[in-house]
Amino acid sequence: MKRGTIIIIVVLIAIAAAFVYYFTRPPKIVRPIKVGIIDCYSGPPAVFGKDALNGFKLALAEINKEGVLGAKIEFTTRDTKFKVDIGLSMAKELVMRENVDVLVGTISSGVALAVSDYVRREKVPFIVWISKSERITGQKGHRYVFSTGENTALAGKAGGVALAQKPYVKYWIAGDDYSYGHDIAHAAWRNLAKLKPGVKKMGESWWKVGEPDLIPYLTAIQAAKPDAVIFATGGRSMANVLKAAKTTGMAGKIPIWIHTATDHAVLKPLGPEAPEGVMGTMDYHFYYPDTPANKAFVKAFQDAYGEPPGFPAFHAYMTGHFIAEAFKKAGALDKEKFVDALEGLKIDAPVGEVEMRACDHQAVLPIFLGVTKKVPQYNFAISSDIVTLSGKDVMPTCEEIKKARGK
Amino acid sequence: MELGQSIDLASLGSQLLVGLSRAMILFIVCAGLSFVLGVLRVPNVAHGSLYMIGAFSAYSVFALFGTSSTGFWLSLILAPFVVALVSLIAERALFCHLYQREHLMLLLFTFALMLIFGDLVKIIWGAEYRSVLAPSILRGSISIFGSSLPRYNLFLLIVGPLVAIGLWFFTSKTKIGKISRAAAVDREMVGVIGINVSWVFAGAFVLGCFLAGFGGALVAPTVSISLGMDHDIIIEAFLIVTIGGLGNIWGALVGSLIFGLTHSFGVLLWPQFAIVFPYAAVVIVLLLRPRGLLKSVW
Repeated sequence: MKRGTIIIIVVLIAIAAAFVYYFTRPPKIVRPIKVGIIDCYSGPPAVFGKDALNGFKLALAEINKEGVLGAKIEFTTRDTKFKVDIGLSMAKELVMRENVDVLVGTISSGVALAVSDYVRREKVPFIVWISKSERITGQKGHRYVFSTGENTALAGKAGGVALAQKPYVKYWIAGDDYSYGHDIAHAAWRNLAKLKPGVKKMGESWWKVGEPDLIPYLTAIQAAKPDAVIFATGGRSMANVLKAAKTTGMAGKIPIWIHTATDHAVLKPLGPEAPEGVMGTMDYHFYYPDTPANKAFVKAFQDAYGEPPGFPAFHAYMTGHFIAEAFKKAGALDKEKFVDALEGLKIDAPVGEVEMRACDHQAVLPIFLGVTKKVPQYNFAISSDIVTLSGKDVMPTCEEIKKARGK
Repeated sequence: MELGQSIDLASLGSQLLVGLSRAMILFIVCAGLSFVLGVLRVPNVAHGSLYMIGAFSAYSVFALFGTSSTGFWLSLILAPFVVALVSLIAERALFCHLYQREHLMLLLFTFALMLIFGDLVKIIWGAEYRSVLAPSILRGSISIFGSSLPRYNLFLLIVGPLVAIGLWFFTSKTKIGKISRAAAVDREMVGVIGINVSWVFAGAFVLGCFLAGFGGALVAPTVSISLGMDHDIIIEAFLIVTIGGLGNIWGALVGSLIFGLTHSFGVLLWPQFAIVFPYAAVVIVLLLRPRGLLKSVW
């Protein structure tokens, strides 16, 4: 063969290889993926907003080492101040001016539902990571809204399942007079009454959100002598309830169930003041499950922020990985393809494999039922004797979701 | 409608004591607010923030002394002085230039101050919930009338009247107290007879804020100390001083008792709607006596 022919063949092969490479390489996107975060960074809920943001940052730090489709994920935050109107206008600003690809947030169920309604019209994916209203992925669910947090339906059923095994008959329900309080109380009672038809509700007490003085409520409940009490409360009211339960002596006399009572964000500041023996349900503990995956997550978080992650950090961390995996699966920076990819997607989370259920866009999360207990290794109470209820067992079925959505 | 359980004497008795003890904290905070309203004519919306700073300072003192009971007692003493210092700086730097302004202006100014204090607290103490542990002697509950009452509430029932007596002694027996009262009625006249009104005002303001700080330190062991405490108390405090009679310390006491007791009995009577009772009482009082129950100095 002549030298010229060899050169031509080599050049042709090189051109062919370049073509093959060009058309078969992973698709690259030219700009970074933009995530808009709306959450509350002021007032009492700020502690949860901050924790979630740290969890999300940690996930991005891991993801951006390799990148997604050749790009990095960036984020912008906006403070909702726990107000529906502010939250909604911040979401609009992020969508219209910042052109975000995905919206995530928030702690307020009110904000989450308002933004969910907005993104349905704008066709922008919105992943809810803390708010617990079951209406977000239930009755008010649609194509563009997802939730990586547990909700009142899951938690209420977990509470109902737990209480139905106990011999208590006469119940008192008390809680914060707002959406979450009524939703969780209603869900727990609905499930308990279904599982154990003999139970009787003696009465209900509702106090305003942030009510500093709960002692009159607890002394009145004690005077009524119920077999057990369901408290429907969260955040700083939770600490007030636990303090009041301890000081009035209720905790030792009357069994109590509260969703998130076993949260370390609540138990840690209470220190030795935390009552023991309170039943609580929780979807995440930094000390449980004791698996390598959870330990690695807790260590990375602890190294980065100097404290163990709370449940908002866990949800937000998972959200970050869901976003990255969904874009990888979609193969393009396209909102519709992203939604399709996220449906039914499974990722490895600190608590094990978590699936984004396709029928309602609700993450299938296990719920941990435990009892507050003081242990020597921590200077605050933790959840003990933990029983894990699998997500499938405590979630509403796809048929129930369809019925709730009126289809 | 579902009424509460059958009401017996025991539960009435315990609700009475619990309501009274809550009234004592409200009284201490509202007396300060009312004093500032009376002497300086300043509707201080930032009073609730000073109450919150009092609670956070109490936590810091408590934590500094190794979360012991000594820490608790020192926090009760030192936290109000921290608040007094903050208020002295605020008074000398800002308030003292504004006394001649109209009320709306002052309202806006103190509202702005409330937002600033709120952010400062977040910067200094962070967003986490804090908690102060009462000393073991005040922990747990005792049995009175066959139902349990937290010991800490009994402690409040002792402290509240002591503060009331102290205030009475100050305003009617000491010279500076008498001057403050005189300045509340006619500030020009007090100036005319050669008293430095500026420092009387500063003293009155600091005393009012000291009480807010003391209220915050006292409430610290019973609640989770968090951002937003300022908003929780300030609306109640303004309602209380309004129904009691603006600027009248004893009006603040009467108003606090009405607020605390209607709340605790409301819980017993109709627990689902207990929130309504104190506010309904406010409406009734204002319908019957629009200027408050006791004589208003405004």
